[in-house]
Amino acid sequence: MTNNCTDAKRGVFPAAVKANKQIGQQFYRLKLEFSGAAAEAFANSKPGQFAQLDLSGTALPAAKNIPDELANTARRNILLRRPFSFVDITCEGDKTLVDILYCVVGPASLRMTTLSAGDSVSVIGPLGNGFWVPEGKKRVLLVAGGMGVGPLQHLAKVLTTDYPDIVVMAFAGARGAGDLPFEARLDEIAQQLGFSLPEFAKYGIESLVATDDGSAGWHGLVSDCLAEWLGQANFAGKDMIIYSCGPEAMLAKVADTARAKDIDCQVSMERMMACGIGVCQSCAVECKAGRPGKTIYKLCCKDGPVFDSREVVFRA
Amino acid sequence: MKDNVDISVDFAGIRLANPVFTASGTCGYADELADFMDINVLGAFITKSITAKLRKGNPTPRIVETDSGMLNAIGLANIGVHKFVEEKLPVLEKLSPAVFVNVAGETIDDYVTVVERLASESAIAGFELNISCPNVAKGGIAFGTEPEQVAKITSAVKKAAGEKVLMVKLSPAVTDISVIARAAVEAGADALSLINTFTAMVIDIESRKPVLANKTGGLSGPAIKPIAVYLVNKVYNEVAKSTGIPILGMGGIMTASDAIQFIIAGASAVGVGTANFIEPGCAAKIVEGVKSYCARKKIANIKELIGTLQDS
Repeated sequence: MTNNCTDAKRGVFPAAVKANKQIGQQFYRLKLEFSGAAAEAFANSKPGQFAQLDLSGTALPAAKNIPDELANTARRNILLRRPFSFVDITCEGDKTLVDILYCVVGPASLRMTTLSAGDSVSVIGPLGNGFWVPEGKKRVLLVAGGMGVGPLQHLAKVLTTDYPDIVVMAFAGARGAGDLPFEARLDEIAQQLGFSLPEFAKYGIESLVATDDGSAGWHGLVSDCLAEWLGQANFAGKDMIIYSCGPEAMLAKVADTARAKDIDCQVSMERMMACGIGVCQSCAVECKAGRPGKTIYKLCCKDGPVFDSREVVFRA
Repeated sequence: MKDNVDISVDFAGIRLANPVFTASGTCGYADELADFMDINVLGAFITKSITAKLRKGNPTPRIVETDSGMLNAIGLANIGVHKFVEEKLPVLEKLSPAVFVNVAGETIDDYVTVVERLASESAIAGFELNISCPNVAKGGIAFGTEPEQVAKITSAVKKAAGEKVLMVKLSPAVTDISVIARAAVEAGADALSLINTFTAMVIDIESRKPVLANKTGGLSGPAIKPIAVYLVNKVYNEVAKSTGIPILGMGGIMTASDAIQFIIAGASAVGVGTANFIEPGCAAKIVEGVKSYCARKKIANIKELIGTLQDS
């Protein structure tokens, strides 16, 4: 993330699908391969950045594989691209592999499940601004809600590579054990505190799981889990930084906790967006501007998706 | 053969290398797009709406996808005319396409203020008068649905525009679009652009609330294309043909064959809008596709194609 190489340009690129693996009941991990200029552009991309995938030409799954809740909307034509952040980026020779973690939420992500090795998909990226590391940080807390864990896994890897002296810890929350996009059987580790998820343990990072229903790990909201942990811990706020990604209500709570403890905090925001490149102005994020009470709209795609939590006016 | 086809057009006295425009609000101020498309392949570029003062725009959600289309309710978010002149005009000045500035406001004075500020700028070929924006509480579409209002605002802006071309953008949400088109032309419009988006709504049936924070938004994309083709043909037959006023046709154009439909219907030029969000380089493909069609049809000059709808 100290890499200032900006020569590799973002653009509209074809990607080759290498794999599209189902994880648990509702999650998938798509592996895309980029060549040439795209390989260079994505190799230099930062955790928290994203790409826009064109899924308009991707086939629907067979009728029996369409979930009941999407039966009414599945057949709708897809017009706009869909934004996805990265869970991992690896370089193999002159190719760059980009992994995307996703779940089925609508007609476009439903189509995405039918992508398979050998398919090609049009990708615009890498887009937006990723997480950054301010000077003097010694301790990082990663706080994820549901699918928000994707870009934080990517960040975990980059932090351990580029900042070996920083101590990193991860909090992963979800509604229930089945709502965390991990390979591990979380229901088997119910109520265990201090369980390290393999996704973070492989980088030497300790992790805590929290579930709203108590079916795995700490019983309660991950934002409350963070607040409780910070209440017990005794670290100087200025040495620490929180990176968070997840539902906006959770981000707002994490931001409140960070502010109360005087800890820097960066949040990855999400908005409905059309273009992803700053022209359509759809993905406005309300931000504080100078004078108290005055706000401006920044763009999630161009100014974010990662923002300093102190500037964001979270949606109720 | 393709290279011998002349697709340059004379649009209200402005010579354009080809008939492809970008539609307002779909390519920002051009500077955002450098990594994704070559702006210089276009015939003309239309900026996003500029108002006298900065506008924050509407709360979110501002967009929602629909069947073959999308609703937007951005609310004319823009940096205001002064910042536009300072920051964006120097970039636009270097482009080879003709630059049109889309102008919006809440009062006639607002429109005149913007146009007066820009009328002497050599980088600007003309103005597109936005009297058809469905997403603002005041102004916008209110100016575009009453013929008397259309005439009043068109003539006021025409005076301020001086030598620049004045194009008036029409709303489809009227009983008879030709009445509005005629009012604009009689009040001094040099060109017409149509259509703007349709006011529309999507409801979340779980919460029973509109999806957009603004409740309604403008419907664009392929869903509106056949209506746009029809309205362009209607205005061409009833107003433009007899007065010699060129039409910039738009509404859901994604491909060259879409563009060609509009040209056959009577458009002298075509605007690419929503498609820019999905495929930023699509305008270049449309330019090449129009050329190929002309070559295949043995049309030496695209003028031979404009308004040539045959009897069924």
